[in-house]
Amino acid sequence: MATTSMLFIATAVLYSVTSALYLVALFRGTEGTTAAARASRSARSVLLVSVVAHMTYLAVDRFNDATPAMPVIHQTLTFISLGVVVAFLIALLRRPAIGVLGAFLSPVTLLFFLGSGLGRSVSEVSPEVRSALLPVHVGVSLLGIVAFALAFAAAMGYVLQERLLRQKRLGGLFQRLPPLDVLDMFGFRSVSVGFPLLTLGIITGAFWTLRIRPDAPPLAPTHVFAIVSWVLFALVLVLRVAGGWRGRRAAFGTILGFLSSAAVLLGYMLRGGGA
Amino acid sequence: MSDLCVVGVSHHTAELAVRERLAVEGDALRELLGALRGGPLREGVVLSTCNRVEFYAHADAVAEAESHVRELLLARAPDVPVGDVLYTRSGRDAVRHAFRVASSLDSLVVGEPQILGQIKEAYDIAHRQGAVGTLLDRWFSRAFAVAKRVRSETSIAEGTVSVSSIATALAKKIFGELTARRVVLIGAGEMGEAAAKSLAGTGASLRVINRSPEKAKAVAKACGGEAREYEALASELAHADVVISTTASKRPILTETLMKGVTRARRFKPLFLIDIAVPRDVDPRVGKMSNVFLYDVDDLQQVAEENLAHRHKAAEAAERIVEVEVEEFETWRRSLELTPTIVGMRDRFSEIVHAELERTLGRMDVSDTDRKALERMERALVNKLLHQPLTALKRDRDPALISASRRLFELDGTDEEEAQPQPSATPVLKKG
Repeated sequence: MATTSMLFIATAVLYSVTSALYLVALFRGTEGTTAAARASRSARSVLLVSVVAHMTYLAVDRFNDATPAMPVIHQTLTFISLGVVVAFLIALLRRPAIGVLGAFLSPVTLLFFLGSGLGRSVSEVSPEVRSALLPVHVGVSLLGIVAFALAFAAAMGYVLQERLLRQKRLGGLFQRLPPLDVLDMFGFRSVSVGFPLLTLGIITGAFWTLRIRPDAPPLAPTHVFAIVSWVLFALVLVLRVAGGWRGRRAAFGTILGFLSSAAVLLGYMLRGGGA
Repeated sequence: MSDLCVVGVSHHTAELAVRERLAVEGDALRELLGALRGGPLREGVVLSTCNRVEFYAHADAVAEAESHVRELLLARAPDVPVGDVLYTRSGRDAVRHAFRVASSLDSLVVGEPQILGQIKEAYDIAHRQGAVGTLLDRWFSRAFAVAKRVRSETSIAEGTVSVSSIATALAKKIFGELTARRVVLIGAGEMGEAAAKSLAGTGASLRVINRSPEKAKAVAKACGGEAREYEALASELAHADVVISTTASKRPILTETLMKGVTRARRFKPLFLIDIAVPRDVDPRVGKMSNVFLYDVDDLQQVAEENLAHRHKAAEAAERIVEVEVEEFETWRRSLELTPTIVGMRDRFSEIVHAELERTLGRMDVSDTDRKALERMERALVNKLLHQPLTALKRDRDPALISASRRLFELDGTDEEEAQPQPSATPVLKKG
């Protein structure tokens, strides 16, 4: 127990340090781009260490009988936070310019990770709600949210960068953020990956709920948020392709969509881990 | 005693017309460097750019060096009032000047990157002509290192400061790579053409539109683009990513109505409009449209001023770096001075002879008279042993020889090659 807790705290601290470093790298006032690039690189190094700590924590937790088993929602959250970081690191290999987006991604990671540690005493999914569909539902939804988290970071960068460009404030922050087109494309691709996963997650979730609890109210708040995010992301994709709806509006749609899908998770958390 | 100095003219003291007359290049430069030998300059590097003509030298006497350089320059341009524009820095001030010039702190546009390359070239040429010795070699390699340090540790070189390069930098901040992008230049004008050229230089394709087809063709040829009919304006705009407008039209030609149609036709892809014309070519309301980014000439000029202000701020940090480096270099140079070296060598020899004498006398019973005689012998011995080396040192005052002596006799402590000299016990005599 002690080892697991210590590893949990260590990982949380490392994620906090990463967030602070990334935020400093992006927002520190007068420093030039070279200094910012250095800060961004050191943030990435700490992020790599955090990932190792996170994985160690998961491994120890998995094989430590003394620890109460992790409820599904907590497992989901910890895997989302890990997934976000790993996906970000992979994306960085292809597009080093988006490094500064760590300033938006690492706090998100930190929140998910902290969320996974709350209320560990809650019992595991009760046997009667277990189903073969559950891992599929959880798996695809998890990956979908990871993709949306990346899209969210790109959209935040886009909104910020577009505003600076429009206000003609071309100082350090403007210089450090990637080009608009890079942010736009990265956000679009991430939503394109996340959307089918979310769709599949909603379908499997609906099936599962209907089978396990036929008497459940037809629309719980979690379901509403899931559908809202689905509609928002659908609009972002469809209007971009069909109506040239891109740029700032698409970015706002993406941000709202991500927040809405995060609200689904929050809903599960508040209900204490079950369905 | 010999010293380092800089004698020359720069944009601070002389008009371009004067600097042009004094500039030295190619064979003339090599000849000049060849002629330095035998004169009052022991070592010399001549830096000649469009903003400065400067002689960096190691000279026996700075005043002689100054008049020598004045004569050389007057010989090249007898009608130029060289005396009025020539400046001289010596010793520490000369060292600081070289470090500041290399770091682009003394440039017309602070932080511009060319100067370091120009100094390196000047140094290479002087080196090949055999005009560089120990002192200048060390001086210039330090100057290069200082420049590198300033560049990496401060943001002095960041942000562009000309309208055309700012336009290009902004386009890159909107579109990322510009290789597959389309630039449309409407009208003709120096600034607009410079911006179009700069953008086309990044790989973007360029279309030139003008009311006069001949003019369009001429400009397109000059900037490396293709000319288009004025009637094709709307359809060209629909395919453009960057538009530079610089016509003499009295009213806006890119009106809100026209641009509404254009943005719809281009499905709201981002469009970067650069309005360099006065009066303006683009209706200001166009700048409020979705995914349209409109910058006029005032905006661009303001960015240029901000970037320059930023560089000047970074320059303060750079000056501090230079000051630290000057101090280090001066410490090294002091260690090369003759007197402390002579005193150091005498001390070293006296110590050894004295210690040996004491050791031997300790076992013997000698009278005071004998002891005095032996001590006289001790002094004579040290003087005789050191006579030839010290004569050679004094005769040549060659920094290489002084440096070698200091290393041979470990006057700067042990094993520290090219050492940061210890704040030595020997008195340091510095010539001002």
